[in-house]
Amino acid sequence: MTIDNRVDLGVSQSVRPAGLRATALRRLRRDPASIFAACLLLLLTFAALIGAPLAAKLTGHSPIQQYPDALYRDGEPIGIMSRLLNAAGTAQDPHGSLFILGADQLGRDQFVRVLYGARISLLVATSATALALVIGVSLGLLAGYLGGWVDAIVSRMTETAMAFPNVLLAVGLAVVIGPGLLNVVIIIALFTWYYPARIVRSTTAATTKMTFVAAARAVGARPRRLLTVHLLPQVWGPLLVYATSIIAANIIFEAGLSYLGVGVPPPTPSWGQMLSDAVTSGMYQTNISLALVPGLALVVTMLAFNLLGDGIRDALDPKGRR
Amino acid sequence: MTRLAGTRILGALTQILVVTLLAWLLFYVIARFTGASPAQRIAGKTATPAQIALVAKNLGLNQPYWRQYLIFLGHLVRGNFGFSYVQMRPVSQILWSAMRATASLVLGAAVIWLAIAIPVGAYGGLRPRSFGDVAGRAIAILGMSIPVFWLAPVISYLFGYQPTQGRLLGLPILPSGTRLFPIAGYVDFGQSPVQWAYHLILPWITLAIGFTAVYIRFIRTLTAEQLAEDYTRTARAKGASTKRVLVRHVGRNVAPSVTVLLGADIATALTGVFFVETVFAIPGIGYAGLSAIENLDYPVITAVIIVAAVIAVIANTVVDIAHMWLDPRIRDVPDA
Repeated sequence: MTIDNRVDLGVSQSVRPAGLRATALRRLRRDPASIFAACLLLLLTFAALIGAPLAAKLTGHSPIQQYPDALYRDGEPIGIMSRLLNAAGTAQDPHGSLFILGADQLGRDQFVRVLYGARISLLVATSATALALVIGVSLGLLAGYLGGWVDAIVSRMTETAMAFPNVLLAVGLAVVIGPGLLNVVIIIALFTWYYPARIVRSTTAATTKMTFVAAARAVGARPRRLLTVHLLPQVWGPLLVYATSIIAANIIFEAGLSYLGVGVPPPTPSWGQMLSDAVTSGMYQTNISLALVPGLALVVTMLAFNLLGDGIRDALDPKGRR
Repeated sequence: MTRLAGTRILGALTQILVVTLLAWLLFYVIARFTGASPAQRIAGKTATPAQIALVAKNLGLNQPYWRQYLIFLGHLVRGNFGFSYVQMRPVSQILWSAMRATASLVLGAAVIWLAIAIPVGAYGGLRPRSFGDVAGRAIAILGMSIPVFWLAPVISYLFGYQPTQGRLLGLPILPSGTRLFPIAGYVDFGQSPVQWAYHLILPWITLAIGFTAVYIRFIRTLTAEQLAEDYTRTARAKGASTKRVLVRHVGRNVAPSVTVLLGADIATALTGVFFVETVFAIPGIGYAGLSAIENLDYPVITAVIIVAAVIAVIANTVVDIAHMWLDPRIRDVPDA
């Protein structure tokens, strides 16, 4: 993001102290938890983009291929670090291909599936967050800048939306319009845009009253220029903190929808779906790794986003030390 | 304050009206274009067109949409949530018994998460960077990162299923067939309060863990903020004990914010029950809702959403009014 020089001239100390971004970055780099989280997220992105097809290539297992030889006679899937069974279905065949994290109840490779699941999680969560930010930032900017009835409508909408158990309404909407990747992204964005909208609205309403905006207006800046050049840059700081936690919340949101069977439709692997398969089939009781593998993937991802979110918040805190 | 409370209640009624309209639009209008019509669902797959037309007429489905909504609203006010497509009995019958189970689950969990988060959060705010604070925060950020739909099967496995195999936390230290906690099922409070609590312990803990994490962080921040204020320093200078400062001074100022958060989280908890109730087989509204989703039983889904929303709106309203009463700064400012 490039900052217009004129903005910096006009901004008072309380809004943008000199070098806040540099300070924040320096603080982040010194915070071991944030570094750890950032590395985890990098690793996760890498695993999703390159690791998933690589694993499929190396093991020779596609994420949706079902191997009947990966199930014992009683339907129990083979466990972690097992090979495909021999023709009699009684013991592991030493020449059979290796299932690193075992197989699921349909005989699909859990390792390949959990890697492909990362793609769905990240894709849905980031695109839904991006869409929610576009809606939320636009409405928040307009409401904060224009005030009056626009503000009243946006504020009432956010208040009403926040008073409801949104996930339930989202599930209801998903049931009616049916599962699908795009549907899930739209639904999640539709039920999360008001968090950024509220933040942007209050920041914009406060900034609009500042002298530098009045100055810009006096020089003859049009509303469009005021909004994009002067007001928009002010909201990134607070938004950045929330964007991280919104992505985390949306990963859970997607997994929850898939868990309830209204998310990304099978056989596309997603962590929520894998968990739900393990739980609803009751198979997690005899083979807990079926629930542990996708669950731990979710927990580690959430932990990374939450740690990074905390780190960014502390780094941007003007009252913070260091 | 009465006027303020009146405005708040009016706002709550509007919110309830909005959610009924949304739910009705979704399940009684949009759903008609994406799936079978309600008349078709009730009459059954083998019904003739004449039979379907008759059912449609009896349900008022041939009326203009605005009248259908008014009829729907009229029924709701009288506690009539329609007829389940699958269970072939009134939805209200299904819901009333379910509400008791869900209320037991949510309220019990709320007691647990407050009982843990208040002391841990207050300690963290009082002694920042101490061992207890760092440990509490680490556990809190972990608790925040664990989705309840994963926690439920894991807890049920570790403390419900594994002991029956003679293992605790993976170690073979129990006699085979031990039953530490029930894996599933629900006993009504009226039948046996002891069995009621015994069956709910694991579900309570499951639902409470995520909230405990959020509340520890919230209460810690609030406590630290209040302890940095001049009035707490004055109280200490006067010779008030730490306990007195925490309870009488800080507690008095933190309580309103926690109450407001609690009101908002009742709505969140009603989402959590979907996952907890299904794993532990508690016949609450989450259980009813999930089986309704699987069967596309729209009247039941509609009812669950509306009931959950109404409970959430009522909880928020009660809490806001309690907040006005607890916090004189809001109470005495008419345009707050």
